[in-house]
Amino acid sequence: MLGLFGTLNMGARSLQTQQQGVEVAGHNLANVNNPAYARQRIQIQSSQTVPDAVGPQGTGAENVAIQQVRNALVDRQLFGEISVTGLLESEQQAYQYAQANLGQRIDRSASGAEGAAAAEGVGGQNGIAEYLNGMFASWQSLSTNPTSSAERQVLLLKAQSLTTQFNQVDQRLTNLRGALNNAVQNDTIKVNNLLTEIAELNEKIINTENGSPGFANDLRDTRIERIESLAKLVDIQTIELNNGSVNITLDGNLVVDDQNVLDTVESYDDGTGRQFTRLQTSGTNLSLAGGTIAGAITARDGGVQSLQDGLNELAALVISEVNSLHQGGFSQTGSTGETFFTGTTAADIRVNNVLLNDPSLVQASGDATAVGNNTVALQIAQLASKRHATLSGQTFGQTYGQIVAGLGQNLNVVNDSLSNQKIVETMIRRQRDSISGVSLDEEMTDLLRFQRAYQASAKLISTVDEMLEIVMSLKR
Amino acid sequence: MRVTSNTFPNLLAGQLEQLSQRQNRLQNQAATGQRIQLPEDDPTAMRRILDLQTEAVGISQYRENIQRLQEYSQVSYGSIRALKGLVDKAGEIATNVDDLESPDARQAYATDVTGLIEQALQNVNAQHRGDYLFSGTRSDVPPYVAVRDSNGRVVSVTYQGNNELASAEIAENVTVSTMTLGENTTGSGPRGLISDSRAGADFFNHLVSLRDNLLAGNKTAIRTTNLQELGQDEDNFLVHFGNVGAVQARLEAAESISRTRSQSVEVLVSKEADADLAQTLVRLSETQNAYQAALQSGGTILNQSLLDYIR
Repeated sequence: MLGLFGTLNMGARSLQTQQQGVEVAGHNLANVNNPAYARQRIQIQSSQTVPDAVGPQGTGAENVAIQQVRNALVDRQLFGEISVTGLLESEQQAYQYAQANLGQRIDRSASGAEGAAAAEGVGGQNGIAEYLNGMFASWQSLSTNPTSSAERQVLLLKAQSLTTQFNQVDQRLTNLRGALNNAVQNDTIKVNNLLTEIAELNEKIINTENGSPGFANDLRDTRIERIESLAKLVDIQTIELNNGSVNITLDGNLVVDDQNVLDTVESYDDGTGRQFTRLQTSGTNLSLAGGTIAGAITARDGGVQSLQDGLNELAALVISEVNSLHQGGFSQTGSTGETFFTGTTAADIRVNNVLLNDPSLVQASGDATAVGNNTVALQIAQLASKRHATLSGQTFGQTYGQIVAGLGQNLNVVNDSLSNQKIVETMIRRQRDSISGVSLDEEMTDLLRFQRAYQASAKLISTVDEMLEIVMSLKR
Repeated sequence: MRVTSNTFPNLLAGQLEQLSQRQNRLQNQAATGQRIQLPEDDPTAMRRILDLQTEAVGISQYRENIQRLQEYSQVSYGSIRALKGLVDKAGEIATNVDDLESPDARQAYATDVTGLIEQALQNVNAQHRGDYLFSGTRSDVPPYVAVRDSNGRVVSVTYQGNNELASAEIAENVTVSTMTLGENTTGSGPRGLISDSRAGADFFNHLVSLRDNLLAGNKTAIRTTNLQELGQDEDNFLVHFGNVGAVQARLEAAESISRTRSQSVEVLVSKEADADLAQTLVRLSETQNAYQAALQSGGTILNQSLLDYIR
């Protein structure tokens, strides 16, 4: 038998147990909107029994631990999916910028000088396609009226619009690649900060859990949140150890071991102006398959690079083809040998200043003595429909179309992949939510449960108190 | 599956986002009437549209070329018709010469012919948009300069142009020239308007000869030689009439083909780029209904809580 005082103690312990239950429910309720939080459960266990004539007798209940409800497998799956989402989001953003930089869109209601194609009912606005078409159309116009200074002026303006557009798009794409390099550098710094934070959290968790009962639940939640942030940047592998710490592996290299950061990540220039990542101490180059860093690198060296290369190739061929014909022609003054374009790429293509200063020097004639000769103008105009072997047998316009479609395809594929990926990630998040998420209904019910138990325990104490009073009154 | 407090709100937020995106896309399609605006919308269709646009701009340019050529051809036609009028008058004078006995009358006719020579010179040196019409591609110099005697009468003319024609495109790799050469005495290539060795035409020299024969009273020469020569000139002008007419017919045909092509390209672009408005609006209204339903059902569920039922 516990005796009256023993029972009184049991009542007091029970009050504490139920009160802690209310506290845990309150903690859960408070964190209902914390996305990193996993619901906690109080683990109640019967207290140690005491021997009695009728056998071991129970002494009530006590709390042994507050445990969070998590599934490590789902967590690990989510890290992987977050990395893939990060990769795709970063790629999508880069390609969306590239698409905006290219400025090629269909607007069938466009108006104004550059809306000529739109006025024809076929759309088109201010992209390279329109300027390219415009320039060759101007060569056609000049071929019908080779002595007209107005046509020459218009031709030079159209050619300038084309070169300006080439220059601007190339500059914007160069800036975009620069921005992607910066993103790699900035994300690398974030990765290192997160690695340090995770190592520190590992240390705190080991210290808290080592030798004491229960778990460092809230520190673990914070760590999960940091690991998720890290997974967004780089694809990682995690290994949970028995001492409560989580080791982090990057591309097969252990970088966080318990409370130690074994290696950090640094970005480096590979000599071509492109930033890549490697481990700082070991110098191992990282080949990342997920995360925003990998996305930025993939977009920079993939779609954005091929877009820029394609435009450069196109510009180079436009320059060389137009120049080789133009140089053989004769101007209104009979002069010859001048180039139409200067420069060699999309970045530096310009209309020759000599011609801009004096449009009569445009060499449209094939005969030094005949200003009305238009053979060169006509040949240059016909370049627009010529199929070039170096462009895989395509015309300038078709090549540009292919470049645009290539970018569109890249973005389209990423868009589709990302929307599928979001579905996958959402499913896993829901799965995790169904395991670890807080339910207000459950917590409210728990609250009632513990409240009633608390009331009952208090009743026990008052009953024992009355019994004690009876015992005390026996002596009077 | 265990449903927690955030399951509903997260799900609802995701659904509303998806529906908003769809509404946005459909609204944009309805407002612009276009299915495709950016390369990402449909890369292969975008590529086809760009190709079609290039084709459309090309066709539109060909139509402009055709208009310019038509304009040039009409101006040339005007000059040739005026020259034909002059050869007719010269022919009349040569025919009437038999009736003229008095030197004064012949003198008067000779003066008429002098006038015809000057008119012919003026006509053949006509300009259009600053270019001489009949100098070949040396369009910056007048085709004919006159050599005059001390009385200011034209004794001969010199052709300054060349015998090269400039042509322009009216369709892919189809070129047409509406130019007419003033002179071609090479015996090959395009026919000269004033002087052509194959046709025996040499209008100025024939007029000068007529005038000189009138002044000299050489009726026999006028009858036997000048009349025949002027006949050759007239025939030559008629050939040129025919040529100009043929070119104009060709230009009109090309213009009509271009117009048709232009329309069919428009139809093709429309097929690729335009949204089916009826379908778009129906889908937009469906999406709006779904959006409202999601808001309503979500609002009802989110409002309900155990808290409403416990004290």
